[in-house]
Amino acid sequence: MMTAVSVAIDAVSITLILALAAFGLAIIFGLIGVINLGHGAMLTLGAYFTWATTAAGVPFLLAVVIAALGVGLIGLVLEHLVIRHFYDQPFETLLLTWGFFLISTEVIKIVFGTDFRNVTNPLPLAFHLGPVSVPAYRTAVAGFSLLLIGAAAFVLYRTTLGIKIRALIQNREMASLLGLDIGRTYKLVFATGALVAGLAGALISPMLSVDPYIGNIYLVRSFFVVTVGGLGELLGGTLIGAFFIGGAETIIALVSTQAFAQTIVFALAIVVLRFRPQGILGGR
Amino acid sequence: MTEILRTEQLTKRFQGLLANDGIDFALASGELRCVIGPNGAGKTTFISMISGHLPATAGSIWYRGERITELPVTARVRRGIVRKFQTPSVFDNLTVQENVELGVLASARRARDVRARIARVLELVRLEEAAETLAVNLSHGQRQWLEIGLLLANNAELLLLDEPTAGMTVEETAATGALVRQLIGELDVAAIIIEHDINFIRSLRAPITVLHLGRVLVEGSFDEIERNQEVREVYLGAE
Amino acid sequence: MRLTRVRLDQTDGTLRQPGRPRLLDGEAIAGTGVFLMLAALPAVAGGYPVYILPQYMLFGMLALSLGLLWGFVGVVSFGQAAFFALGAYTMGLAMQQTASPINPAYLGLAASLALGGALAGVIGYFLFSAGVRGAYFVIVTLALSIIVEQLAVSQSQITGGWNGMFIDRMSLTFGPLGEVSLYDDAPIYYVVLAVVAATFALLKWLSRATFGKLLVGIRENEDRLIALGVRTALYKTSAFALSGAIACLAGAFYGTHANFVAPSLAGVLFSTEVVVWVAIGGRGYLLGAFLGGVLVASLANYLSAIIPRYWQLALGVIFVLVIVFLKGGIAGAIAKLLAPRRRSPAR
Repeated sequence: MMTAVSVAIDAVSITLILALAAFGLAIIFGLIGVINLGHGAMLTLGAYFTWATTAAGVPFLLAVVIAALGVGLIGLVLEHLVIRHFYDQPFETLLLTWGFFLISTEVIKIVFGTDFRNVTNPLPLAFHLGPVSVPAYRTAVAGFSLLLIGAAAFVLYRTTLGIKIRALIQNREMASLLGLDIGRTYKLVFATGALVAGLAGALISPMLSVDPYIGNIYLVRSFFVVTVGGLGELLGGTLIGAFFIGGAETIIALVSTQAFAQTIVFALAIVVLRFRPQGILGGR
Repeated sequence: MTEILRTEQLTKRFQGLLANDGIDFALASGELRCVIGPNGAGKTTFISMISGHLPATAGSIWYRGERITELPVTARVRRGIVRKFQTPSVFDNLTVQENVELGVLASARRARDVRARIARVLELVRLEEAAETLAVNLSHGQRQWLEIGLLLANNAELLLLDEPTAGMTVEETAATGALVRQLIGELDVAAIIIEHDINFIRSLRAPITVLHLGRVLVEGSFDEIERNQEVREVYLGAE
Repeated sequence: MRLTRVRLDQTDGTLRQPGRPRLLDGEAIAGTGVFLMLAALPAVAGGYPVYILPQYMLFGMLALSLGLLWGFVGVVSFGQAAFFALGAYTMGLAMQQTASPINPAYLGLAASLALGGALAGVIGYFLFSAGVRGAYFVIVTLALSIIVEQLAVSQSQITGGWNGMFIDRMSLTFGPLGEVSLYDDAPIYYVVLAVVAATFALLKWLSRATFGKLLVGIRENEDRLIALGVRTALYKTSAFALSGAIACLAGAFYGTHANFVAPSLAGVLFSTEVVVWVAIGGRGYLLGAFLGGVLVASLANYLSAIIPRYWQLALGVIFVLVIVFLKGGIAGAIAKLLAPRRRSPAR
């Protein structure tokens, strides 16, 4: 009984945290179709910025904000200098974002070294639900993830900006005929995706030891979360995809190693995509 | 004249909209037929069922005596039923010659006379001079001809052309008319052409089937159709 | 084609025939030159080059496997290293079967060819027959690299885990005619050269045959080919299977040459290095991919010795610059210089 409860809590928090990590990619890949292989690097940058600023004495929450903004800015620069010339060539953007990963990883290694870094947990408490002990920080991050998704839902479905973005996804040509500035909207979406990825990396950093490849753990996972959930289904898709990937991995890891669980889950995701390429929530 | 295509009571229903309502149609081998009608008459639906891109709701399609109603597109293509879509789709970054070569290779992988076939097709669609031009640099009309060339290279026996002169200049349209007549004459290929351009249809001098509201309204020669009272009403009324 | 009055293959004689393909095109000639030079090399430069070049040639072969996919089919694979490592591990396991009546090396080579081809074929068919788009395919190959690397680490009782696996040098046995040991550098150099050259020749021949042309057609406009009745999924699967087999075989030879294989050979980082090689060398040309593998890998090695902190950064920057400005890679740039008549090349 105790194990079942703690597993359930684990599954929920893992789902929400994975959804947070994947959300930036859901924005970029799902909304403007850029296969951002630099997504992991954006997470890593968020983590490192957080470490650097907290090590300099900045309070954690402020550090997170700075990290998110920093990565968002980097994303904006990347889009402006490079990505925006290649929107009609998906393979090239794929390679370019991978190039971004290569370069940023090396810069991180040069600036910060390759040792593991630790970001101090700002909330090293634990709740006690009966016999089960739940880390407070994880819960906070999971809760934040839910808030963020809710906020995104609000923007997408209740604001003018949201309408514009949804129009853009539906039909690019029509949207431009209707006076929508495509270039600016794409820029905004890309930068936002980067910002969210940086934010996720920042928030996740206290839970892991930070090294230059920390984001890559989430790279392929995020892609599967987004595609299994349904490309373009920003909210429900990300949550369902995260539940599938994260939840499945947790459950399988109970009976085998983490590595094996990940392998099985990847294989499962590939099978799901093969039979339902539009994802669980995606419609043709 | 042997019959190459026949439809019996061919029907297509889209969730309450009856796009094609029991169409009986017959085409002889080597025959050219124009299918015309106001917008929404069901012409493209009809062609799509013959090519296999739309499944039929009811009725049957017979090709050379074989019932093909349930066959997938690729099986019909292998039998020589090829369709040309409204927006030409060719291999933009390859030359005209390479395009046609792919058309030949797609159907006859081990053809010894590939080069000769390519030359012949280029001659038929009047693109020999443009053989080394990249397809992306062709005019719109030339792209349409190139696409027809691809279909011919692919051993087409029944061509389904959906508005082949759309977007063409007056000269290109006239040339297309001559091209089509020559193809039919020399190669014994049958064709169904959906068209709106009156001059083009007149120049083809081929029998016409008029569709209206998913049914066959009348069939006949160009002159007969032009004089037909019902047809005038349908066209004028629809405007 | 129903030909009644006029036959398709008859012209009236005045028509200009499309150009006859020459037996050897520029790339074949250049490639022959490269391999001849490689063959002559041990005579003029002993020692270290003769020792190390087979590894770079095998990297070139690995790059060829990617070049086939990327240049001809138009899909990038971030998983070629997975096949490479599988080949090496297979060879390692085979070479341990010292009691085998058949030369264990031959077993290893055959097994790695079969494994690479079968694995890639199954995955390829599974994905392509459902029309999985290129982008998703890339992600799957990325996942494949991760999976193989983790398997190599976790199945340590077979693979030696992080410590890696030692692999003996193989011998060529010719039944009653005797045996040639490949312990020394020169013999194995020539064996590897022969295998790599044969692979290049095979791919070159395929590229000019119907198979290669249809692959290019798939790359340029797959829907059009499908509408012409071509089963494109089968062609893509075959190309992937071939590329997997080649990468696996290259890995098998690499394993026995380097005497060692470790999980990092399977990983994402090495897989992406292969992509970098082919991007810089030239994705549209087999020779470009091959030389990309050989030269960029050696350049990376050289750079890592002289600027150990910054060489990977330099490589990353070069990679991005090549993608942005020199899409065809170096081979593409050279080809454009030599034959400017194509205004926008098909590569």
